[in-house]
Formats: sequence, structure tokens, C-alpha cells
Amino acid sequence: MEQRRTALDREIVLERLIEAPRRFVFEAFTKPEHLSNWWGPDGFTTTTTAFDFRAGGEWIFTMHGPDGTDYPNWMRWEEIVPPERIVATHGDRPDDPEAFTSVFTFSEEAGATRITLRTIFPSVEARERAVSEYHAVEGGQQTLGRLAAFAIGLSKEV
Amino acid sequence: MPRAATTSDVFNAIAEPQRRRILSLLREREHTVGAISHSLGLAQPTTSKHLKVLKEVGLVDVETHGRQRLYRLDARGLREVHEWTGGFERFWEGTFDRLETYARDLERKEREDGTTPHSPRP
Repeated sequence: MEQRRTALDREIVLERLIEAPRRFVFEAFTKPEHLSNWWGPDGFTTTTTAFDFRAGGEWIFTMHGPDGTDYPNWMRWEEIVPPERIVATHGDRPDDPEAFTSVFTFSEEAGATRITLRTIFPSVEARERAVSEYHAVEGGQQTLGRLAAFAIGLSKEV
Repeated sequence: MPRAATTSDVFNAIAEPQRRRILSLLREREHTVGAISHSLGLAQPTTSKHLKVLKEVGLVDVETHGRQRLYRLDARGLREVHEWTGGFERFWEGTFDRLETYARDLERKEREDGTTPHSPRP
């Protein structure tokens, strides 16, 4: 039980139903010209330096935030099972010690695709940093107004 | 995101202004129901009712000292709120929105190009 808790403390699991057939959702991951159309939230663009979609291959790219900030990115594809599963290591640069593992799972659901993203961080601290610091990546802090301020104020003190 | 019942959803629990006032009070230190009621000018049954909700979602817990029951802030329930307000989840929500639009574009394009649709079969 303790071990299980420890593992969960280093993970974030997100799930989302995508209203499109699975093979198109999977296809969107397979080429830089696809990825540049959707990777990152609204307002982000990406410039790809290197891309090799096979196990052991890398994707080296820069994300350009809406406020003009550039974020260097490095991914190594660890496992590719079309159209079901992609496992990747993701960091700022090759062999980034803070790199985390992302497991994308695609399952068919009545013509739509359930995508599950399980992210495993190298430590509990790295996980907490990701939760907080993606604020900066989004380039906007005040979007959630008073609830956010209240919740963050509370969590600082506990 | 599916919504849970009021009594098990931390977001619903903190949407109520009086419950937020109780949490703010408990940030400083633990209190009895009586002390909370007195500080906030609430009837004791009202305070108890709010504390019950806050306890159920894991925002407060209670400790018994002799005849006193002391309520204090509990961090467990906050984790969900903290993560939602944190950027990671919103980053991916935004990204998945765009992925959905793009995957649908790919599907439409294939249909318009007249290529034979095929699904991968095991």
C-alpha cells in the first residue's frame, strides 16, 4: 500500500474523449507537419529541428509561447504501438535529469477516441514543480481569478 | 469533466461562501464548532452542517481532546483543487482541444480526397 502511494505521488493521469476516430488521432502524432498544427494549447507554435518516429528515435523542437517565450523540448519515443499506445521520455534537452515519461493510450469508444495520458515524474518534487510551473508555460496567471488565489493561498500554508 | 455530488466534490464544497470563511478561519489554527460559530456569527447547527461537508471532501478533519472536538484544515482535499489551478492539466486540456480539431480535419480531408476509408483491423 505504501509503495503504491509512493508511485501515485509521482504520477499525473489525465483522460479525455476526442470526438474523432482513433486512427486519425494516432496519425496526428506521427509527423512533425501534423504535430505543428496542434501540439500545445491555443496560441502555441512549434519548430521542429529533428524528428524520427520510431522506438529510440527523437523529436527535438522548440515551443513558442503566445507571449513570445521559447521553450526547448526533447522527446525520445520509447515504444510505438499503432494506433494504441505511445510511450515517450520528455525533457528540455537530451538526457535531461528532470525528464518524465509520458504514456499515451488510445482506445476506441463508439467512433470516438478515449485518450489517456499517464505522466510519471522522476520524483515527487518534479511532479509538484510541473503542476505549479506550467502556469508559466501558459503565460497567464489570472485566468481562474479568485478561486485560484484562494486555493493557492491555502495550499501554501498547509 | 464529470461532476460529483455536492458532498463528495471539493469544488462544490468551496463554492459556498460560508464554507470558504470557515476554511480561512481554520488556516490560522484549529477551532471548535462553537468558536467558529461565534467568530463568523453563524448558528451552531449551520456551522456543523458546513463542517460535515468540508470533512466529507477531505478539507477539514476533526480531533477529539477530552470533551472538545477540534476542527482543523486538512491538505488532502486541496490536492485536487491545487492541481486543477496548476497549469499542467490545463495545458493538456488546451492541447487535446486542438488535437481533436486536427484529427477531425484529417478525417474530413481523407473523405474529401475520396481515398478508400480503412480501419486498422487486428
